[in-house]
Amino acid sequence: MAVYVKGIGNISPQKTWGDTTLLSSPLAYVGDRLSCVEPDYSQFVDIRQLRRMSRILKMGVAAGSMALQESGIKVPDGIITGTGYGCLEDTGIFLSKMVENNENALNPTPFIQSTHNTIGSQIALLLQCQGYNQTYTQSAFSFENALLDATLELKDNPAKSFLVGGIDEITDLSHTIQHRFGIFRDRSVSSLDLFNTSTDGTLNGEGASYFVLSGEKGENDTVCLDSVATFYKPGMQYLMDGIENFLESASLKTVDIDLLLIGKSGDKRFDSEAEEVSSRLFKSCAIGLFKHLSGEYPTASAFAFWLGARIIQTQHIPQAVIHRKATRPQRNILVYNPYFGEYHSLILLRSC
Amino acid sequence: MEQLMEDLKRQIIEALNLKHLKPEDIGDEQPLFVEGLGLDSIDALELIVLLQQHYSIKMANPQDGPQIFKSVKTIAEYIRANQTT
Repeated sequence: MAVYVKGIGNISPQKTWGDTTLLSSPLAYVGDRLSCVEPDYSQFVDIRQLRRMSRILKMGVAAGSMALQESGIKVPDGIITGTGYGCLEDTGIFLSKMVENNENALNPTPFIQSTHNTIGSQIALLLQCQGYNQTYTQSAFSFENALLDATLELKDNPAKSFLVGGIDEITDLSHTIQHRFGIFRDRSVSSLDLFNTSTDGTLNGEGASYFVLSGEKGENDTVCLDSVATFYKPGMQYLMDGIENFLESASLKTVDIDLLLIGKSGDKRFDSEAEEVSSRLFKSCAIGLFKHLSGEYPTASAFAFWLGARIIQTQHIPQAVIHRKATRPQRNILVYNPYFGEYHSLILLRSC
Repeated sequence: MEQLMEDLKRQIIEALNLKHLKPEDIGDEQPLFVEGLGLDSIDALELIVLLQQHYSIKMANPQDGPQIFKSVKTIAEYIRANQTT
């Protein structure tokens, strides 16, 4: 079932909001951490309500507001959020205070706001949206499951509209802990050179992307979500077959894909599958990369969804994204997002 | 008492993240809730924690909260009356 994209809001390590040409001046980061370029939140939320919100809440509320503004819809019928890590800042504060205060006299605010579903709840509170509200938190399938839920809901009620998003944040504490796992690069001079050197480790990223989706096409809609699929530790042949079957169920073949957006992370330990998929299945289409722009995080596929949708809308692939040039119009875009060799997801976007 | 009220204003601003205010913006007898600073029930819980963390005072009866947390002055008077050290 086609689900139409009515509005988009995206806060990321690039300037992806406001009046800017699509990734015309990509930002380069030194080190292993890409932090979001954030707007002035007082444009979106009353300053008195802002004081209690952590950064991820502010990013979620602002990205949601941007998407709703673009769609022209004031209050959606439901809010569906995907987040791998949830509200890390408040979780860190809550746990640290617990240790500092010897488990006595704990501050209520960080505790209340440490749960994953605070983001969707906060958006609903501000909008006074009392409809369906769901949060998915399954690591790198969180955003994909939010999309699947929206698709199922819209199959039953196509006229409804849902605010669907993927969101994750980096905090100093989470970055320090994750760095110990050896998943980030020790020395990175420029994030834009992520794919120019072959080494272990990727770059830590974050972002907040929300989309207004509906089952009914409006006259201004140009992008639709065709389908979503996830594969956990599939093995190479199963993955290859899975991609072909996925496309077949959308009445497409691999040659019909105009642009493959691959979530390669730059970590040589995990990128071999992505390279094999592109070299064996997608020999002629354009190929784009995005994790040198967004960094790696569980809901990075939401950044790719934003990128794919904007490419279809503008029919322009930013120079910073191009790995293999396009030779034809961008009608069918496949996002293939592998995450540390375990989670593999597919999102098919089409022009409509 | 003056010093205690000054300290309280700074601690309230920090605990409740009232970054848009300075201590001198809060009057000694200005109502803290609803029409005054516009604090709410979650802020009341934060103030109870503030009393525990900074002054080692555990409120015996939470129902006394509205009277105690009426203003900075009433909080300071409560601290004076209940602080043991």
